[in-house]
Amino acid sequence: MDILILALMVLLGLYMAWNIGANDVANSMADAVGSGALSVKQAVIAAGICEFAGAVLVGSHVTDTIRKGIVDPSALASMPGMLEGEPAALLVIGMSAALLSAAIWLNFATWTGMPVSTTHSIVGAIAGFGIVAAGIGSVNWGKMGQIVASWFISPFVGGLIAFIIFKIISKMILGQAQPAKAAIKVTPYIVFFLAIVVTLATIYKGFKHVLKGIDWLTDTHTLLIAVVISVISTSISRIHVKRKLGDKGALPLAQQLELVEEVYVPLVIISSCAVAFAHGANDVANSVGPLAAVANILKTGTVEMKVPVPLWILVLGGCGIVLGLSTYGYRVMATVGTKITEITPTRGVAADIAATATVLICTRMKLPVSTTHTLVGAIMGIGLARGLAGIDSRIAKKIFKSWLITVPAAAIVCIILFLLGRAYLLDYVRQLVLAARVS
Amino acid sequence: MNIIQELFGKSPFGPLVEHTKKVHECVEMIRPLMEALVNEDYDEIRRLQDQVSKLEYEADTIKHNVRDHLPRRYFMPVDRVDLEGFISSQDNIADKAEDFAVILTLRKTKLHPAIMDKFFDFVDQIFQVTGTLLTAAVELSNLAEASFSGAEAKVVLSLLKGLNEEEWKADRKARSLSKDVYALEKELDPITIIFYEKMILTLGAIANEAENAGDMLRTMILK
Repeated sequence: MDILILALMVLLGLYMAWNIGANDVANSMADAVGSGALSVKQAVIAAGICEFAGAVLVGSHVTDTIRKGIVDPSALASMPGMLEGEPAALLVIGMSAALLSAAIWLNFATWTGMPVSTTHSIVGAIAGFGIVAAGIGSVNWGKMGQIVASWFISPFVGGLIAFIIFKIISKMILGQAQPAKAAIKVTPYIVFFLAIVVTLATIYKGFKHVLKGIDWLTDTHTLLIAVVISVISTSISRIHVKRKLGDKGALPLAQQLELVEEVYVPLVIISSCAVAFAHGANDVANSVGPLAAVANILKTGTVEMKVPVPLWILVLGGCGIVLGLSTYGYRVMATVGTKITEITPTRGVAADIAATATVLICTRMKLPVSTTHTLVGAIMGIGLARGLAGIDSRIAKKIFKSWLITVPAAAIVCIILFLLGRAYLLDYVRQLVLAARVS
Repeated sequence: MNIIQELFGKSPFGPLVEHTKKVHECVEMIRPLMEALVNEDYDEIRRLQDQVSKLEYEADTIKHNVRDHLPRRYFMPVDRVDLEGFISSQDNIADKAEDFAVILTLRKTKLHPAIMDKFFDFVDQIFQVTGTLLTAAVELSNLAEASFSGAEAKVVLSLLKGLNEEEWKADRKARSLSKDVYALEKELDPITIIFYEKMILTLGAIANEAENAGDMLRTMILK
């Protein structure tokens, strides 16, 4: 592969991941920082580690959906009048254009203050490429409809789960005459649920990809492992909570509530890290996925149906995120931390569990959803459960608008970039593809 | 602007409690005013009236601050209408306390010894009513913490029940005090009687508004 091409691709991937790190990452840690469980500095470090781990250990489910599910590469090859190597070259230009246009749109949206999702941008961009390159028919509109529907469903499901979890916490702990005593009884169950969700998310989104050769890691075994880990962490939490709250039943109500919140501090840190992990896995895979296709075509010269995502691309994504976080994202984190002091550890845990669980479910169903939008849905669910003092409902409208505009906008930018690329670079890229075939 | 950050509006409950406290400070001036009246220290009354006016102005500032926290697009754990009703009742309490101070400055009136004890008893009862309201309202932040339900909500609801009782007592005391005032109609000139009546009505209005505010607080919790 040409060193210049490689450098360009690295830059492209870094630019995309930088955008994610700069804007999105602060959201995944918002609950931990907002509730004061972590300082801004600690949150930046934790987010960097978790996002990087999530990005590198990511499962390839979602990547496939985006590359193959939305646009069928074989539709390009079967078009009449194609020169040798032209479909592959078009795919290289198209995927690069998609990546670049998604990153540009994301950058623009951030600059104008629109809550746009990385995932949605890339979906729109790839659809735009498909329409121009191989005709409207090449886009799988059924799949596209499913993906768009999942954007509506994921915040709703996140909100519903958060609502239920927080209602349980508020009814069974915070609303009791002796919250400290109630917390000793109820908290282990919440820890159990949290641990199940976190381990399942970690295994499904992470280790399955790295430990690909391991056959015994079936769904049943995964669930079994998750249950065992959950039981262990539940027992630990029982001891910890008992030690912290055991003799506090006689304190005044306000003081007990405060102590209960303190018990939830470690949980909100763990659950926020889980969100960051899921975010790194989800969004990085979604966004640098096209890069894997490009790299594969340039290496082999052919278009394969299934492309493995090379580790170096995921590492690149992870590095980009950390870079974005350290150059710009920490500032976002700092303002988020000072602005959302309303959230307490119990609320943060409820929102984080809901968001992680929802993203996990959607990933299992091969639906690319936005982690941030799901988290917003979850936080609104807590607001509806009377858990938060003032939730700005304008955000819901903003998100809705961003849905309507992101797909067409990213598609149009991608179409322009693709047409430019096809006009000027087609021959050059085709030579590269042919050269790859020879060697 | 970051989306999560934009999602969170400022809590209105902190400034709301602050407003309640400031309003209660206005009510706290009533007793010193009465004492000054007994001592016929009219300069002191004027000075105290200035002070109440200042406190009322400060309460107004906080009130505006609370309202700034309540744009329509916020959804809150309590009903906006109840919250605004609560604020406006509190606002009326401060206004009435100021009115009372102003009334005392209008005319150099003497408090008749025959009604003095009962009058002070009535003033204390008013203070009892607003004090109960204050205790209930101060719990607001705890209530928000426990998402307006459970044991904490019960504590406040029982306080509010007590508030109704105290208001009822204040009403009775006002009636009995009025009777005593009219019993003195032979001794006193009519203007003085009108003046006393005005004082009693204003104080009674404070208790009434406190009850209204309490009712708003109750519907907020029971939403």
